[in-house]
Amino acid sequence: MAAAGRADSSRDRPSPAEITALIPLVRRIVASRVPDRATADDLVQETLTRVLAASGRVEPGMLEPYAIVTARNVVASLWRDQDRQRRNQHRVVDLRPPEAPDEDVLVQEDRQAVAEALTRLTDRERATLLAHEVSGQDTRSLAAELGSTAGAVAAQLNRTRARLRVEYLLAVERTEPPTDRCRPVLLAISGGDRRRQREVDAARHLLECDLCARLSEPLMGRGRAREADVRVPVQSDADVVAARSAAREVASGVGFPPTDLTAIATAVSEVTRNIVKFADAGEVVIEVLEEPRRGIRIVARDVGPGIPDVDRALRDGYSTYDGLGLGLPGARRLMDEFAIVSEVGRGTTVTMTKWVGER
Amino acid sequence: MTSGPRLFSILRQGSILIASIHTALDDSQLERFREDLIDRIGRDRAKGVIIDVAALDVVDSFATRTLRGIAEMARLRGAQTVVVGIQPDVAFVIVQLGMDTGSLVTALDLEEGLTHLAATAGASIGPAR
Repeated sequence: MAAAGRADSSRDRPSPAEITALIPLVRRIVASRVPDRATADDLVQETLTRVLAASGRVEPGMLEPYAIVTARNVVASLWRDQDRQRRNQHRVVDLRPPEAPDEDVLVQEDRQAVAEALTRLTDRERATLLAHEVSGQDTRSLAAELGSTAGAVAAQLNRTRARLRVEYLLAVERTEPPTDRCRPVLLAISGGDRRRQREVDAARHLLECDLCARLSEPLMGRGRAREADVRVPVQSDADVVAARSAAREVASGVGFPPTDLTAIATAVSEVTRNIVKFADAGEVVIEVLEEPRRGIRIVARDVGPGIPDVDRALRDGYSTYDGLGLGLPGARRLMDEFAIVSEVGRGTTVTMTKWVGER
Repeated sequence: MTSGPRLFSILRQGSILIASIHTALDDSQLERFREDLIDRIGRDRAKGVIIDVAALDVVDSFATRTLRGIAEMARLRGAQTVVVGIQPDVAFVIVQLGMDTGSLVTALDLEEGLTHLAATAGASIGPAR
């Protein structure tokens, strides 16, 4: 009643009650066009504000149609804005990486880690490295000072850098390697020295040691490109097929005749299957050999239970699972060289080689 | 089972099933192939089975054993099995591996295989009656 009274007093302006009565209508129009609820609410507000502002100019009885048109216009201008934003979005993209809030801290940690790593070098290593890298002294003058040759100094610098990389990673992680074997393995990997890696059985250690497996990633990334090794991680049935096709591909690049390719692929299939059947995880590494002749070497290693009696496993007919027992002896017959090292409780490594043009 | 192209197909021709392996199969896929095929022998009342392994570049101990298993199971279910399309390199390697394949009936290709089945199993390639 009070509302009606006020409406009477100012005939040309609609009462708040009349505007309020428009809300459900406006909301329905906007909601049917704009799915997002928060946006829809904003648009309803916007429409009502406009209607309210214009209400003095709207003829009585025309308020509802006016609200409808206004609501439509508000929605349409939203769409237009969105479209314009979409079209121009690429202009406002800032391609510079944002400065992360933790950047300073990271830089500082990095510096600390390098400093920490440097202190772990011997005095002589550190002095030589800093003289070369920081002061820019060349290897020849360093060699003269140290009473050595330029080549030896360069080699020593390489070793020192490898060492520094390992110590840096350990300092960043703030860990000490869990076993005595970790450091030599990481050093061999960091230096990219394959003979040394083989001596310390680096690949096996990486399967066993989580820390070294993680740390070796950035270290290996350096030397990987020039090495032609193909590694296939083995866990499931499908990996057996992956390993043997990888071996076939590498072998065909080496120049083996088709029959040998099939033999190699089959041998790889047999030894890889043993990994899947008996061990949780393992890998197959395929390596191209140039010396003394062209050939291919396949190393299949696992961290499984190991084979208690290797000689028996190499005899035809021996099998611990539902097979023909021909896995290992069959693979041995297909390859030129075949060696198996197994340690109960630790795992098995099968190394097999085939030379181009044998037999 | 993974989607993608079919790894093998089993087609019926009269009372003969023609099973073709299309690509290299891993062990569990081979086992699935065996199960599907044995199942189809019963459902289609097949008298003969031809397994085409021409697409296999590796037939190792497991694959040989699976093929022998299929042949034996099919025989117990009343069907004769012929393996066709073994590649020359594969044959060479099977011999070197030392696999015993004496119980496997083989033929050079599909045509030879069908001829063999018609002669021995009385299987016909005409429509089943």
